[in-house]
Amino acid sequence: MTELPWLYAGLLAYALATVVAMVGIGRLSSAVAATAPSLAAAGISESQRNNERLVLALMTAGVVLLVVTLADRWVRIGHGPFVNLFELLISQLFSLGLVYTIAYWRIPVLRTTAVVVLPLMWVLGVWVLALEPSDSVFPPTYHNPWLWAHVGFGKFFLAFSLIGTGLAGVILLRGRPFFRRLFSHLPNDVILDKLAWRFMLLALVFDSLMLIAGAVWAQDAWGRYWAWDALETSSFLNWLLLGAAIHARTTYKVPIRLGAILIISVFVFAFVTYFGTPFYSEAAHKGVI
Amino acid sequence: MLLLAIGAALSYDNPADTSIWVLVVPMLLLAVNLIAAIISNPRINRRGGLLVFHLGLLGIVLLAAIGRLSHMEGRVEIVTGSEFTRESLSDVRSGPLHNGALDQVRFVQGPFTVEYRARMMRGLTHSYVAIPDSEGGWRELVVGDDRPLLLEGYRFYTTFNKGFAPILSWIADDGRPVETGAVHMPSYPLFDFKQSNSWTPQGGEEIKFWLQLETGLTDKEAWVLDGRNATGTLVVNVAGERTELLPGQSVEMPGGTLRYEQLSTWMGYKLFYDPTLQWMFLTAFMTVVGLGVHFWRKLTTEPLGLDDKQQAKRRKIAQDSTAVSRAKTVQES
Repeated sequence: MTELPWLYAGLLAYALATVVAMVGIGRLSSAVAATAPSLAAAGISESQRNNERLVLALMTAGVVLLVVTLADRWVRIGHGPFVNLFELLISQLFSLGLVYTIAYWRIPVLRTTAVVVLPLMWVLGVWVLALEPSDSVFPPTYHNPWLWAHVGFGKFFLAFSLIGTGLAGVILLRGRPFFRRLFSHLPNDVILDKLAWRFMLLALVFDSLMLIAGAVWAQDAWGRYWAWDALETSSFLNWLLLGAAIHARTTYKVPIRLGAILIISVFVFAFVTYFGTPFYSEAAHKGVI
Repeated sequence: MLLLAIGAALSYDNPADTSIWVLVVPMLLLAVNLIAAIISNPRINRRGGLLVFHLGLLGIVLLAAIGRLSHMEGRVEIVTGSEFTRESLSDVRSGPLHNGALDQVRFVQGPFTVEYRARMMRGLTHSYVAIPDSEGGWRELVVGDDRPLLLEGYRFYTTFNKGFAPILSWIADDGRPVETGAVHMPSYPLFDFKQSNSWTPQGGEEIKFWLQLETGLTDKEAWVLDGRNATGTLVVNVAGERTELLPGQSVEMPGGTLRYEQLSTWMGYKLFYDPTLQWMFLTAFMTVVGLGVHFWRKLTTEPLGLDDKQQAKRRKIAQDSTAVSRAKTVQES
């Protein structure tokens, strides 16, 4: 298992990024309390920027180390991370980290969500540490380019849902006085809510693409494009839930906090779909390998 | 959507034992709802992207319905060297409107190989088939796993189900014509330990036999199943006595003579037919394109960082400036 040291190093980088993000937001909140409302005058901007740069560097390091982990394992066992839960979790830690790091870099308002997003990613990090790092056998039906498309679109769907959830988490946490102070430098809830739903709409696009690519792959691999297996049904229910949530938001103008709960519900459902099904069956798609 | 979610949940991992109506009724209601929304809701029918998205959803529901009404599924086992026939299909399920050209499907099964890794992990399957070409001859194709044989819209997928088939002849004592046939032994190597079957020739008694195979099977290292490299000894029970036959050998039995002609193989295929497949893919793709266009327009016309009031103000300014420039254009002209 030559990939394990790289995995531990990658997880350590994510852990440090989490700690630094939390320390940074704590400092910022103290400064805001002391000097509000003018942050620029407080002279903390440069310090905060340094903190954000450090978080970005650590997350980038984590992503790179996980790429090395995956590459090393790929070379050793001869196939990509598509089969057992151990490699699926590493792959998700990589892709979620990559998308979130890019978003963190390009969209400054998202940076505070690191205190919600990174701990969520740590659920996967702790889980992967608890698993037996076993090798897997690549099934003959996985030699198909649509598998790549299916998995790739799924990763973007989950990553955008995670970012939406980070924003929704900030909105909900701001209901508490302590967190209201902690997140007081962020734009108001209306803007965060709009941004969160943008990511959920983007998640719907990639969720749809994932289902389509998965159906094409299933048709090639198993001679049917849809069979209501456990993972297919969960994915479809997740798509319905996401569609219903977006409908509810646009049609019924649901309150911002309720909308945030809906976003988190979609992410939790997606999380259970992705990572709960392996409890139900040993393979991602039960009985079809 | 809620009813559809309930229907999907009821079908969870158990579609065979769940009534199709738990999905059909919500789909019908959803289709009606989609039609009503597309016609009456200006937020849908005046926005190109959203309109395409909702029309696409409607199209998917309709195509799924047409697909189920006209589909066909089944299984078939074909012995190497023999031609596919419709009569050899089993477990056939088809929609009431199925109207394919299955009778025109012709192909001959050739040899096949299946790769195995250590510990009997199945790898790639290569199945050689011959299909008629335009010049009256035959053309060879290789199919297997995710590469189905596609003929007249029917897709034949290789399965893990394959095995050996001794070719037997029965020469009856009463002068009936010689009867020759292949007996499909259980799937191999899944049932390596019980390669037994029976056959009752016309006018004869049931013959029970076993097949002792030499295929090079090993679970310690990689191995390739190839019927051309296999040998098999047929063990027949004649009047309580064990008799071993090699290809070409015969044994006298009550009522006639059993001749073991040769050892062959059979490949199991899954048959699938759905004339809506390409249309379904195209429609689903257009549906997502519609959603993508809607998202893109939203992103470009309502930038992030502005709240609703600011955005409304921004839209008004944009509309006013457009109106002013139009007025100027009219004046100039």
